[in-house]
This record gives sequence, C-alpha cells and structure tokens, in this order.
Amino acid sequence: MNNKLAPHIEELTKALESISTNIDESQIQEELEKLLDFRVPLDEAKRTIIRKYKSASMPVMKIRNITAGLKGFEVTGRIIDVTEKSVNLRGKDTIIFSGTLADEDGACSFTAWSNYSLKIGDVIRIKNAYSRSWHNRSEVNFGERSHVEKLPDDVLPSIDELTKTPVKKLRDVANTDLSVSSVTVILEFSHRNINVKGEEVTIVEGVLADETAKLPFTSWVPLDGLDIGSTIRFEKASVRMFRGVPSLNLNDNTTINAVDASTEELPFTFESANMVPESVPISEIMEKDGMFDVIALGNIISIRPGSGIITRCPDCNRVIQKNTCRVHGTVEGVKDMRIKAILDDGTGAISVMLNRELSEIAYGRSMVEAENIIQKAMSQDAVFEDMRQVLTGKYLAVRGNTSSTEFGVMLVSKSAWMPDNNINERVNALMKRLGNNKEEEADNG
Amino acid sequence: MVEREVAQRLFAKEFNDSKFNIHPKPDEVNHDGGHAPNFIVSPLGSKINRLFAAGVVTEIDNIGTEHDLWRARVVDPSGAFIVYAGQYQPEAAIFLSTMEVPAYVSVVGKARIYEPEDGSVFVSIRPEDINVIDADIRDRWIVDAAELTLDRIDAFSMALASGLSGSELFEHLVQNNIPNGLVEGIVLALDYYHTDADYLQKLKDTVLDCVKSIGSGSGDENAVPDEDLILELMNEMDTGKGIDYAELIIIAKSRGMAENVIVAAVRKLLAKGMCYEPKIGILKVVS
Ligand SMILES: [Zn+2]
Repeated sequence: MNNKLAPHIEELTKALESISTNIDESQIQEELEKLLDFRVPLDEAKRTIIRKYKSASMPVMKIRNITAGLKGFEVTGRIIDVTEKSVNLRGKDTIIFSGTLADEDGACSFTAWSNYSLKIGDVIRIKNAYSRSWHNRSEVNFGERSHVEKLPDDVLPSIDELTKTPVKKLRDVANTDLSVSSVTVILEFSHRNINVKGEEVTIVEGVLADETAKLPFTSWVPLDGLDIGSTIRFEKASVRMFRGVPSLNLNDNTTINAVDASTEELPFTFESANMVPESVPISEIMEKDGMFDVIALGNIISIRPGSGIITRCPDCNRVIQKNTCRVHGTVEGVKDMRIKAILDDGTGAISVMLNRELSEIAYGRSMVEAENIIQKAMSQDAVFEDMRQVLTGKYLAVRGNTSSTEFGVMLVSKSAWMPDNNINERVNALMKRLGNNKEEEADNG
Repeated sequence: MVEREVAQRLFAKEFNDSKFNIHPKPDEVNHDGGHAPNFIVSPLGSKINRLFAAGVVTEIDNIGTEHDLWRARVVDPSGAFIVYAGQYQPEAAIFLSTMEVPAYVSVVGKARIYEPEDGSVFVSIRPEDINVIDADIRDRWIVDAAELTLDRIDAFSMALASGLSGSELFEHLVQNNIPNGLVEGIVLALDYYHTDADYLQKLKDTVLDCVKSIGSGSGDENAVPDEDLILELMNEMDTGKGIDYAELIIIAKSRGMAENVIVAAVRKLLAKGMCYEPKIGILKVVS
C-alpha cells in the first residue's frame, strides 16, 4: 500500500462512516488510487469519493417517503413530542427516547437509542438513520452510529403548522398522516354490529373515493341520511394502517357534512369515481407498503407450489394434509382450488393469489374437471403440472389489494381475467415514438 | 424482505451485445442476509438477472457428452436467444427434448455469461420455465419489449445529453424520475461500454424492425391451414376407437394452437364431412 495515502484513506473512512454503515477501506483505497492515476488532484479526488458515497448510500428522505426497512438515510424534522422510556434490552435496562417527528408533508414516530437531549420543538437533521415497522407504520430510528444535528428553527414551519390536519386527495393519504380532511363520494356502505368491551356497537364500513383513489373507511359515529352515492366533506378523520393500506376512521373528532354534488363543482362524480381503475406498473405497486383496489397486468412467469387442489379444515379454513388439522385434529377435509402465481410486467414482480372462483377463470377448468385430472393421472401433482402448462407465459390481469410481506409484495385478487390483446393502439404509439408514424410511411411510399 | 428479481424484457440484439458481468464477491451478502444477485449489464443499462423472452424455437441440439445438455435457439425479430438446459434444469430439458420445431415458446430464466480465455463473451439463458405460447403472446411480448427498450433509450439519451458521469450522473437521473435500477445500470454501462448516440440509434432501428414485424411473420408459420393441422393430428391420435375431443384440444393447444382456432377447425371439418361424431365427445376421421 502507498504509505503516503494511508492518512487520507483513514480520514475518508472516518468521514464516510458517519454517513454509511457499509464502508470498505480497501474499496476506498482502490477508488482513490484510480482517481489519482487519472491525475485528479488529491483534494478533488477526496471530495469526489465523499460525494459519491453521499449520493449512493445516503439518500435524503422526506418523511412521507420513508418505508420500513430502510438503512442509512438522512431525514430532517421537527420534534412534535418526545418522552423518555426505560426498556429492557437483552437483559439490560436502557433509556430510550420516543416521540413524533414531522416535516412539511408527513409525520412519523421515532425512537432514539441514545440521549441527544431532544426537546419538543427542536428541528433536527439525522444522518445514518434507519427505519422499521411499528404498529403498521414506519418508524425512524437512530442511535450510536447516527449523527444528529440541531438546525435553526426557521428551517421548518411551526408545530401548530405541522400538526394541522392536511386537506388531501385520497391517493396522497399515507402512513405518515395522523389525520386528514377531504371531499369524497361513498361507493360502499354497510352496517355491522361488533362487540367492544362487552358492549354491542353498530359501526359503518365502506369505501370512499375521489378522482384519484379509493380507500376503505370505518365510522364509529352514525351516518344518518348518508348512503351509497352520497358526497361528503369530512375534517380530521384519523388514519389507521391495515396491511400497508391506509384506512379512514370517522369518529367523535371528525366533522362530517353532506355535500350537494349538483350545486358544488367537483372533479368527480359517483360514476367516474366508481369506474374500473387503470392498470398500474408493477414497479409502482412494489414501492408502496400496500395499495387499495389496484389492477396489475403482466405475464405469469411462475406458478408456485401450493397451487392446485388443496384440502382445508372445515372449522378454521387452514390448508391441511391427510385430513389432519394441527388445531382441530382429525377432520373431514373440504376440497378447494387455488393458484399462487408470480406476475411480472418487466418493471417488477409480485405474488398473486387466486381463490377457487378466480382460479377457474384463469385456468379455464372447473374444480370438478381438475379433480377428474387427478383421478385419471392418480397423482395429486397432476393439476399443479397442468396449471403450469396452461398458464406459464400467459397474460393475466388481476384486481385487488396489495400488501408487503416477508416474501415480497402480494396481491389478493378480487377479480381476475385474461386481458384483451389490443396491441394496435400501442403499436401506433410506438411508431410515433420511433418517429415513424403511419402518415409518414405512406408519404415515403 | 426478499424481493424477487424482475424478469427484464429486451430483444435478443441488446442481450447478445452484453459483455459486462457484475458478480458479487463470494462473501458479499445483502441486508437481508441473502446472497447478492448476479447481474449482466447491457449496453443500454439493463441490469439483467432474470429475463422473460418469447420467440420461435428454430433449432434444438443435444450438445452434451456425459450428460444431456440441450441447446435451443429462440428467435425474435432481432436475433436469437441461446437457451441451455442440462441435468439441473430437468423440466426444461425434457420439454426441449420432446418438442417439435418450429414453435412459439416463452422462456423465463437466469442470464448466464461465459467468458472463455480468448476474450470472447457469450451470453445465454438458463431456463426456469419454458412453455408453448401462441402468436398473440409473441406479438404482445414484442410490444412490451419495444416499449421498455425505448424507455431505456430515452433515459440513456438524457444521460448522454447531460454530459455528466459517475455520481453526478446518478443524481441527475434520479432527479428526473428514472427508476433506481436503471440509473445504476446506465452509469455502469456508460463507464464500461462508452455507449454513444450511434449505438442508441442502432438499437432504435432494431426496435423499429421488431415492431414492424408484428403480424407479418404469421404468414409463414400458419402457412398450413388450421383444418389440415387438426386433421393430421386426428389421424395421428386415432388408434381405431376414435379421438377424445377434450384430449384433441389439449394436444393441439400444446402445439401452440388457440382453443377457439381448434374448435373452429373441428367445426369446419365436421361441416365438410371430413370427420364425424359417433358419440358425444368422440371424433372419427372419415377415411
Ligand atoms: Zn382446523
């Protein structure tokens, strides 16, 4: 090793450790030597390397873009509240600080594993923070390897400003909203009785929509006079997360008013909001923790094991083998059919689940026909194999909700169909992009 | 969370121009403890771990010595994907060893690179799944691949126009909403291949040829009328007791015919009196 470089490499390593957890000294040496070989001045070479690592490994995040499981990012926010807690960590009592952090368009909870003397109202910049999932939301975490810096107060709006309930379109409601206000139309609406601490309570469940998205809602207050098709303006609905999808909670703190859609100019109607959504590139679905009512379209590039004819416990619906449920013992199993597939559109890949009814549509055979295949072939795998042959490579469109699981993003289908092969329009658009549209072609002879 | 590697859509030309392999160091593991995946970077910046291709199988050879090793050429309008299936891809090997050429197939598999000592580089596909498809799926695949290839060409043009490289280019492209994976690929490809405007234009011409080919190729493959194919198949299947209609559909489908085409062909044969239905679900050829 070039001894003259040693102190510089050490300096770079130290500087970079504060922004990334993944610094390899020999790699830095290699990069520095390469730049010097190109006769880049030493100072400039060092700056280049720092810039490179900063941009590659230290993305600057807005709170609304933070998903669980990120590492080594930078975030700036104002402390909305903070409390000191004593937790037992691997047998040791440890003091941690947790609270809420907010920027202009989002808020999230945080946990600080070291004492940074954080006070309510402080504006802080955290470098080398990481995130994890906490109560179905993302939480910012920082500790010994992070750098926390107090910034001037005017970098962010005041606490009052930051905690004001924002008026949002449904598409923009995220797990970083504590509450939202909006104008929407009711697409689905039903009453349900549930038991809360021994008391029977009637709640309303349904789906709200505007021109940008649909979201499920639950109302803990009666919605007299409202029904499917009603347009409402609500203020301060609290946002809950369920399987990565935001859900709106209307409660005592929420103001709800009916809107007369015939006199007020709105960018949507019941009909337009209730239309079948456009399909979304799978890469976009993968970026989110969960999405409500989306359509994905792609090729089935794999039929996963577990597809085919299965047996379920009649009591708990678990998939069972040899008529034995691990909870209910020996039972009379109920036959069912399902498909687990990987859908890939060239931008991303998700797992797709189809129930019996949708499997029959996609597969093109009824469950009875499938059972006959098993009997004829005398093999339980015969249907799985046949499904692979029928479906692998085919185009499939599915509609449903997505959620992020440890095996990647999964879409549980509410409907599924073989999409039409309408390529003419797309071919024309391609020809235009290629500067070769039909008129031109005709001119050229 | 384990994220599945996306199956890239690209034409054989772009794939076969690829020479740049990024293999993780043996001890390198990613955040989730899994091994970092292998990538081939194309001159357009596609980071290819897995790909999904569709085309016509024109040749299948067993080139193995000790063990079977099947090599197939899957041809798209720009060139041929080479597919190898050996003892560790038993299903694909059986598929290739029994299929008749030519036929439309789709292949999903891992991108492989072979670099013999002499400095040459060969890329191929190690199949995870191969299946027979119809001409509709093939055409649609061309449209998908064309759209995504043009997206890459556009992003690469933006990169060239900026005059930037390295981390500055990275930032520039991310700020312009180019997906992260592609941004990484473009920065790497620019450094390795020095991809220039001439190459982008060449690829654009390739895309144009591919799009123009849609629909026109079907003349050759479907030169034999569907009824003749079905009739030939019925003769092949009939062992004297007649042909099970359902079975006929399954087998004809496995040879790449769509169900509605098969049904229409059988109806025509029945109407022409070239076959009859001695009992429901059973067909017999009039000899
Ligand atoms: Zn059970």
